Parts: sequence; structure tokens; C-alpha cells
Amino acid sequence: MIWALVIVPIVAGLLCYALPRSAENAAKWIAVGVSFAAFLVVAFGYGLPDESLRWLQRPFAANFHVGLNGPGYWIVLLLALTTGCALMVTRLPRGRDFVAQMLILLGAMTGVFVARDLMLFALFWDLMLIPVFIVLVAWSPTKSSATAWKYLIYNLTGGLALLLATAAFGIVQGTTDVIGAAPGSLAQISPLWSFWIFAGFTLAFLIKTPVFPFHTWAPDTYADLPAPMAAVVSAVQSKAGLYGFIVVGSALLGGPMHRAAAAMIALGLISLVYGALAALAQDDTKRIVAYSSLSHLGLIVLAVFSFDPIAYGGAVVYIVAHGLFSAGLFMTIGEVELREDTRLLSRLGGLGARNPRLAGGLTLVALAALGLPGLCGFAGEILILTGLYSAGLVWQTIVALVPIVLAAAYMLRLFQGTMHGPELADLPEREDLSPIEFLALAPLVVAIVLLGVNPGPLAASAASHGTVANAVARVETP
Amino acid sequence: MNALLLACWLLPLAGAIVIWAFGPQLRRGAGPLGSAVVFASLACAGSLFSQASNETGVGETLVTWIPGYTFGLRLDALSLLWTLIITGVGGLIHVYSIGYMWSDRAFARFFAYLNFFVFSMLTLVLSDNVVGLLVGWGLVGLASYFLIGFWFYKPTAVAAARKAFVINVVGDIGIMFAIFALFASTGSIAYADIFAKAGTLPVGVLIAVCLGLFVGAAAKSAQVPLHTWLPDAMEGPTPVSALIHAATMVTAGVYLIARFAPLYNLSPTAQSIVAIVGGITMLTGAVLGIAQWDIKRILAYSTMSQIGYMIMGVGVGAYQAGVLHFFTHAFFKAQLFLGAGIIIHALNDEQDVRKMGGLYRRMPFAFWAMLLGTLAIIGFPFFSGSYSKDAVIYGTLERGHGILYVAGILTAGITAFYMFRMIFVVFFGPERDDVPDVALAIPEAAHVAHAEDHDAAHAPEWLMRLPVAILMVPTVAAGWLSIGGNTSPWYRYFGTLFGTSENVNAPPLPIPELASQFIVYAVVTVGVVIAYLRYGTPAALRGSVERLRAEALAMPVALERAFWFDDAIAFAIVRPAQALGAFIGRVLDPHVIDAAVRDIAWLAGALGLVARALQNGLVRTYAFTIAIGAACFIAYFAFVGIAGR
Amino acid sequence: MSVELTNYVTLSAVMFFIGVAGVIVRRNPLIVLMAIELMFNAANLALVAFSRAWVNNAGHIFVFLVVTVAAAEAAIGLAIVVAVFRRAKNVDLDEVAGMHG
Repeated sequence: MIWALVIVPIVAGLLCYALPRSAENAAKWIAVGVSFAAFLVVAFGYGLPDESLRWLQRPFAANFHVGLNGPGYWIVLLLALTTGCALMVTRLPRGRDFVAQMLILLGAMTGVFVARDLMLFALFWDLMLIPVFIVLVAWSPTKSSATAWKYLIYNLTGGLALLLATAAFGIVQGTTDVIGAAPGSLAQISPLWSFWIFAGFTLAFLIKTPVFPFHTWAPDTYADLPAPMAAVVSAVQSKAGLYGFIVVGSALLGGPMHRAAAAMIALGLISLVYGALAALAQDDTKRIVAYSSLSHLGLIVLAVFSFDPIAYGGAVVYIVAHGLFSAGLFMTIGEVELREDTRLLSRLGGLGARNPRLAGGLTLVALAALGLPGLCGFAGEILILTGLYSAGLVWQTIVALVPIVLAAAYMLRLFQGTMHGPELADLPEREDLSPIEFLALAPLVVAIVLLGVNPGPLAASAASHGTVANAVARVETP
Repeated sequence: MNALLLACWLLPLAGAIVIWAFGPQLRRGAGPLGSAVVFASLACAGSLFSQASNETGVGETLVTWIPGYTFGLRLDALSLLWTLIITGVGGLIHVYSIGYMWSDRAFARFFAYLNFFVFSMLTLVLSDNVVGLLVGWGLVGLASYFLIGFWFYKPTAVAAARKAFVINVVGDIGIMFAIFALFASTGSIAYADIFAKAGTLPVGVLIAVCLGLFVGAAAKSAQVPLHTWLPDAMEGPTPVSALIHAATMVTAGVYLIARFAPLYNLSPTAQSIVAIVGGITMLTGAVLGIAQWDIKRILAYSTMSQIGYMIMGVGVGAYQAGVLHFFTHAFFKAQLFLGAGIIIHALNDEQDVRKMGGLYRRMPFAFWAMLLGTLAIIGFPFFSGSYSKDAVIYGTLERGHGILYVAGILTAGITAFYMFRMIFVVFFGPERDDVPDVALAIPEAAHVAHAEDHDAAHAPEWLMRLPVAILMVPTVAAGWLSIGGNTSPWYRYFGTLFGTSENVNAPPLPIPELASQFIVYAVVTVGVVIAYLRYGTPAALRGSVERLRAEALAMPVALERAFWFDDAIAFAIVRPAQALGAFIGRVLDPHVIDAAVRDIAWLAGALGLVARALQNGLVRTYAFTIAIGAACFIAYFAFVGIAGR
Repeated sequence: MSVELTNYVTLSAVMFFIGVAGVIVRRNPLIVLMAIELMFNAANLALVAFSRAWVNNAGHIFVFLVVTVAAAEAAIGLAIVVAVFRRAKNVDLDEVAGMHG
């Protein structure tokens, strides 16, 4: 059943190409159906038994081992939901091909988060780059593939580091089937090996997240990707690195993880402040969101390297929360762009009067993004920061509070700049959100509110999961 | 489950959602519906009065996030008082709004926001823990944002709304910091747990927590230097100013400090800082009130000044007095704003007092409403404001803050002056609405009309008059509850809720309370007399046009720029942040960080260029290269020989 | 009388370098192909000579293989020359430099 979550979307994606080119709507609704079916399977599938097939025996054991539990469970749930919602609002030329790539992306990313074997994890890690690269090339707004290559080269560098680290890990450990393994079941690794293995993982995760100074591919990629895919990539693909830190880094490599903590926290803080400041000055709404992601994800890096149980719970909450609101932001910005043919703040304004539903949707997701108390962003933030402070990182907590004010400033700038102010006469007059587009935002909005009111289950399930408990337990016995 | 408590809390939310969802269908029905749910909420709170008016009150646990993060409701004496004001005064303002917003196109949206505000404010005061309070704190900020920017096609309103929101987020992070410190040392966010362990907190933590909370209070309650959003917030419709920016939301800081009295009582340093900032705000607001021409900005600065009194009161530890001033202020300031709203409405949104004049004859009802409110705010004997203001002023002396005492008396005099200045300029003398702007030195302003249905019939007048008429009663009489000092109903209501402040160690008082009251009255009288001589004498009224023009032209720059607070914040914080952001976005990110990566890519490309020269596409060159290679190979074995031979 | 192995090898070397020189200096693809054939046959000659000298038939078998491959190579080479001529109307090798970097 778990394998079906990976294979069915990929096969469905490939089969889409068998449809006639003009069957855009049919392809779209099939894709929506596949995504929501996946969502339902995941929603009712918490803790399905793991599935495993033998893959390699030499030079180390590797298995096609997948499981659906722990932090990965929530991310897969988020992935299926955001993909379904994003597909519903897809309106692009060559729509059939686009939804096919979305489905392949869905399958590949599901693979990343259900893999329980590091080799399998690395395989899907590289696989999920392909649809994004294809879309960047084929749907590039500038007819140039520079962004696509930038994306691919950055992420393949990370992928190569990940693969080497995984192979080294397999050689010294004898197996790579270790994600979610019980604490103490692994052999001790010599400090030298563990340093290089950790360095490989870390490079891959830092590039993927992204974390300063490896972030410059992200704003370009998000700006050039069509909005539905940008929504999914920013909501879920960027979480692969953080997920990696949580289940791979902290669970398996306690020692070097702790030695690197100070440097990683510094990078996280820099990302946090740097992204927020950069977002203040952007004119392109998609770039504002891209830099805000840099800022928000920096906070999760802080949480991971604080090794505090509350911060870990908060990190999982915030991973899902950020997925919800960044998907919502990209989708609403995409709607604005579809209507007005621009996404530059300097050319937008006053849309709220004619588009109350669109304005309402953008307002809510932007409020979640700026951490309005009562919505999901706040729940993650306050748990993370509470944990940070409790872990003794007092001045880091104080620095991390400043970007909250900046977030209010740039998010208000984003939605006031598009929705408020006098109506601009030179913008074409377009319809408000159609019922279907409205319906596509609704699940995200509901999830944003629900998660904001009670993130308890996420925080608790994350903290009780073997890998994270393991990571936290290692603090006591480094 | 305490159904009444839940209903009291959630009814306004239900109202907001229903009105938001069915606004177009409800149309004018949104007003009565919105008002009804607020009054229903009031009824729920009122029916809990006897159970709740003590220290423990009634409570309800709702959700738990993680151990220690448990959310619930608690209605005790302090939150009950706020709940009654929020729903009572709030309900009256809802009714008033039906009349005021009658012809606005977004009538229903307005009531959805108002109901949402009431729900948020109730969340703030009913929460039994500090994170729940912060949720309410943020949501009232959001409601305030929505309502300031209600006419979102006005650029000034949009800017004012953003400013209010961002400054309030500064306050939010102060409270967040306090939460982290409290959770780290007590392991809980519930008031009960925190106060139980208050005695065990180290002094440093205590001060940090109290100051963090005070940053929040200062931002929400417009204390210097975080006050600059409040005058701008007057861009919102007048009922909003009355409800949010006078009666309820801006006093949340007073609630916060009163709520955390058990912590502040243990930290005299924090208390002094709070009291001093309150005193500075009180005086600053009053001085700036002198210099305003917009009737709503006059009232806004007076609000700031009066909240300064309240904060000073709770800061020195005179909690009952500070909260009493909140209580009376809620009535008389709402009255003043609603009265001003009647005038503004009648004059088609004219807010400049220079264009008014002589309205006593045209609008006697508004005159009496404003006069009663003014007498209450300046502390005229037997009006509500006099009891609370005297209690606060004398409270500072009781606790040994002589300078604050003098400042309080001085501010009372200034308040009397600028409030009567407003009364004389607005209601007496010739009507000036047809005097050209130039003659009054009014700068040209871009005027954006409301989106009104001009063909819509006007609302019946009683809708706006009834709430004002009802408010006249507590405006005059609310203070009488405290007659009799420590044995009065007011002091007995709170009992020992606030504990005792360690500050009560003052030396013997130089003057008795009655004498102090007479000093205040004397200073107030001086203020009124000066106002009369300057604006109210028959000669001054006849020459009012020239006098106002001269005064406007001669306005000191310090007052015109409101002591440069806005400029200082822009210079020190906003512009550097924007410049840094622009530097990162336009220079550092593309031309340094990204460029470093691109340089690596360029290096690979450059190496490729070198290698490329070898690939000239001529087969014979390749063959020649191979031949030379082969020759070298052979030569090696020919001359060096095979290894080992 | 039997010819010395040295003579065969020397002849083979001379033939080979004539072939190399032909490939490098000539611009006519037909001549270049012929020069390549010359190099093949130089190698064949060496193989046969060594085969005889060491009384080992592997060399002969290799020669058959090389002759077959050389025939195929000549066929493909000529086909390419014809294709290039059709496209470029020119068989000067210096003009056919489409693979330059």
C-alpha cells in the first residue's frame, strides 16, 4: 500500500502522456483524483506496516524499505494535500504535460519521505529533481534554461554529496536500512568517518533547505516555476533537507551533529535575519515569498540544532505549517498573476475591491505566514522559540524574535500592495476566484486554522517517534 | 462544561462568521444581528456575575498542545470587569454603528469585523494563560488593523493600518519573550501555576518578564515611544475609534499589568519603569493634544494621555485606582468619540475643528454629550473622571512618587485646557464651514470620498443618539462606586486580587487626600479659565477666523511634528532596515553570494576554454597528437627500458 | 634462405609511419583512408611475421580478423566521405571541422 503511494502517481503521470494533447481537463482531474486519493490513503494509513524488499547485499545491505510514520507521515499528508489543491488551480499551456510532471513529482517526493533506507532516500532525492528541472526548462517564462541549470547543478551537487555519504555510511555500518532504527542498534562509527559522512549529509541538506549561503538558487527557481509547482516545491521539497536533519542527521550521527551545532545555529540565525531583510526590499511577490521561506526555514534549522524536545515538536509543526501557508501564498499569487499578467508590487494595487474572495484567501495565508497568533505559523514559532529558550539559547531566541516584526512588515507590504490602495485603472478587469479555485484554497485555509488551534497531535507524534526521541536522547549521552 | 462561559466567548465569533459568510444576503440585517450577539454575550457574562466576581471565578480547560501548554478560559473579578465593558460599551457602539455606517457599501463587512474584534478582545481577557492572552492580543491587533484600514482604497488608511499592526507586533514579541522566560522557569503558561511560583523566580528573570510584558503593554496601549500609531489609527470609522482605540483595546496594557500584579509586586524596579513611562506618556499626550486641529486626533491624544494615567496608576501599584480610571474612561471617552461621530457624520466627514464653529445651535444634543464627556475627562467634581483621576494622582503620592504626582496634576490642568479649547472652537462663535481653507491655513488634502450609496435613505436619528444618551449616565455616575475609599463597593469588589505591593512603604503623606483633590480642582479650573480667555470670550469668538489662522501658522515645529517621534523611528529603525533589505536584495545577494557561486562556475568554464583550443575538429591534428603520444610511449620503453630489466 | 625477422619488422614499421604521415599531412579523405589501410597492413605484416617466428597461429587468426574489420571500416569510411561530400560539396578535410570545440 505504501509502495502504491509512490508508484501509482508516477505511473499515472507517465500514462497522462498517452492521453491526447487536447485532453488537458481530463488529465487535470485525473491528477486531482490521484492526489486526493493519496491524501485519503495517507490520512487513514498512519502506522501502516512497513514494506520491504531486498535490494543490495554487497558491499552493504540495502532494502526497498518504506514506512509511514513519524514526522514523514505528516509531510506526506501535507504533500498529497498541497499537490491536489495546486493541481486544481492549474491553468497553463500544455496542461497535460504539466500535470503529468506534477504527478511524477508527487510520487518521487512521497518516496523521499516514506523511504526507510538511506540508499532509497538518496535515490528518490535525485529523482524528485527531474520533474522540476523539466518544468523549469519547458515552462520557463524567459525562454532561457539558466534557472533550470542553476537548480539542477546546485541540487545535484547536494545529491552527489548525499550519495557519497550514504555509500560511506553503508560501508562502515554494513547496512543503510536504518531510518527509524532503534537507538543503540547501530555500530559506533569512528570520529573521522562520522565527520565526513555528516559533512556530506549536511551539504545536501543545507543546499536543499536552503540555508544561507547556499540559497541563491531558490528565489530564481520559485520565481520561474509556474505557481502550482512552486507551491508544491516550496511547501514540501524544501522540507526534505530539514526532514533529513531530523531523521538522518540527528538520529544517526549524534556526535558530529552536536559538534556542528554552534555553526549550524549561526547559519540558521543568519538565514532567518537575512531572508527577512531581503524580503523587505523585493518587488516581485514570488521573490518576497521565496526570501520569506529562507527566513522561516532558518528557524527550523535553529530548532533542529537546539536538541530540545519542545523545539523538535515545534519544528515538525512549523514544517507542516510553512508547507500550508507557503503553498497558499504561491497559489494566491499565481491567481493574481493569472488575472493581471504581472506579479510586481509596483504595478499591482487595489485588487481587493473587485476580488474579495481572492483578497480574503491571500490575507489569511499571509497572516499565517507572519505568525498571527491563532494560526499555524504562530503555533510552530512559539513552540520552537520556547524550546530554544529552555535549551539555554537565550540571546539566539532574542535575535530570532526580530524577524517576526520584519515578517509583519513584508507580509503586509505583500498583501496590501496587491489588494489595498486605490484601484489601478490600467489593470485588466478580471473575475474573482471561481468556485473551484475557491474550493482549492479552502482545505489549506481549514488546515491552517485547525493546526493553529491545536498543533498538539503533530508535536506529540513527532516527539514520540523513535528517530526524534533518539536524537534527543543523545543529548544526554553524547 | 460551563456553557454560559463558552457562549459568552464564542457568540461574537459565530456572529462574525455568519455575517462574513452571508453579508450580501443579510445587508442591513447585519447590524441588528451583530449587536444582538454582543448583547447576548453581555447577558451571559452578567448571569455569571455572582459566581465570577471573586478571585477564583469560573473556568474551563479547552486544549493541551504539549505538557505545560494548556489552554482554557477563566472569568474572575478582573476579567469580568473587562468582559462587561467590552460587551456592554461594545454593544452600544454596535447599535450606534448601525446609524453611522448605514449608507456605507461595506456595511455587513464592518459588523463582521466588529464582532470579530469583540471575540478577540474576549479571548484576551478570558484566557487563563499567557499564550492564550497573546493569541487574543494578536487577534485584537488584527481586528484593529482591519478596522483602521476599513476604507482600504484610501492610501492613508492603508498606511495607518500597517503602522498600527507592525508596532503591535513589536509588543507581541515582548510578550513572547516573557512567555519563554516564564515557561523556562515555571514549566507552565497558566497564570495559576506562574503566580504560585512567583516567589521562587530569580530577580533577573522577574525583571526581564515584567519588562517584556510591559513592551507588549506599551505597544498596545500607545505608551511612549510606541504610541505613534494611535493618532494615525483615527483613519478608521469613528465607532471604531470609540470602541477599539478608546474604550477597550488600547486599555489592554492596563489589564496585562493588573493581571500580572503578583509579578510586578515583587519587582519594584519594573514597577518604577512602568510608572515613569506612564507618566511621560500622560504628559506628552496632553501637550500634543493642544496642537491638534482634527477633532479625532484631539481625542486620540487625550486617550493616550488618559491611558498614561492608568498605566502610571497600575505601575505604582495603585491597581484599583488605575483600573477604576479604565472603567470610567471607557464610558466618557466612548461618549466623546460618539458625540464627535455625530458631528462628523452631520458635516459629511469634516473633521477639522477650524471648519466647525457655532455648532451649539445646530446640534444641541451633540453639544451636551460632548460637554458631559469633557467635564468627566477633565475631572470636574462629581463627574466620574474626577474620582478615578484623583485616585490615581493621589496613589502616586501614597507610594512615594512625588514627581509623578506633580506631573499628574499638571497634566490634569493641560487636559482641561485642550478639551475646553475643543468645546469653544467647535460649538461657539460663528460657523466656519463656508470660510475658505486658505483663510484658516488648512493645507490642501487629497480627499477620497467614501463608497457610499448616496441614494440610500438615512438611518433614523435615534440609532446614533440612543447609545450616547445611555452612556451619559455612567459618564456622570460611574465614579460614584468608589466613594468611601477602601470600604467602597469598588475596592471590596477586587478584594485581595492584586495582592499587596512591596511599594507601600512610603513616608507619612505631606497632604491629606481631600486637600490633594482641591489642588487638582484648582489646577483644572485654571486650565478651563485659560481656555475660556483664549477661545471663549465674546471678543475671541468674533475674531475666531483670524485667531485660528494665526495659531495654525505659528504652531511650534516640535508640536507640529509631534516631538519628532515618527521621524526618529523612521530615521533610526525603518529606513536602516529598508536600506539594509535593499542592499541585500539588490547587491549582496545577486552580486556577492550568488556571484561567488557563479565565479566557481565561471572557473570551470574558463578551464573548458583552454581545453577547447585542442579540439579544432581536424582529424589529422588528433592523429598527430596520437602519433606524438605513441612516439613518446615507445621512446620511453626504448630508452628507459621496461621496469626491472 | 629465410628472411630475418628484423627485416619484416623494419618493413612493417616503415609502412606504418608512411601511413601515419599520410593521415596527418594529406587533406583528401580517400588518401587518408588508404593511409589507414596501410597502417592496418603494417600491423598485419608484423603479426604474421611474429606468428611465424614463434610458431603460434594466434597471429594468423588476428590477421583475418583485422582484414575483415578493415574491409568494414573502409566501407563505412567511404560512406561517410560520400555523405560529407553530399552535404558540403567538398572533400577537403580541413573544411570539414564541424566537431571543433
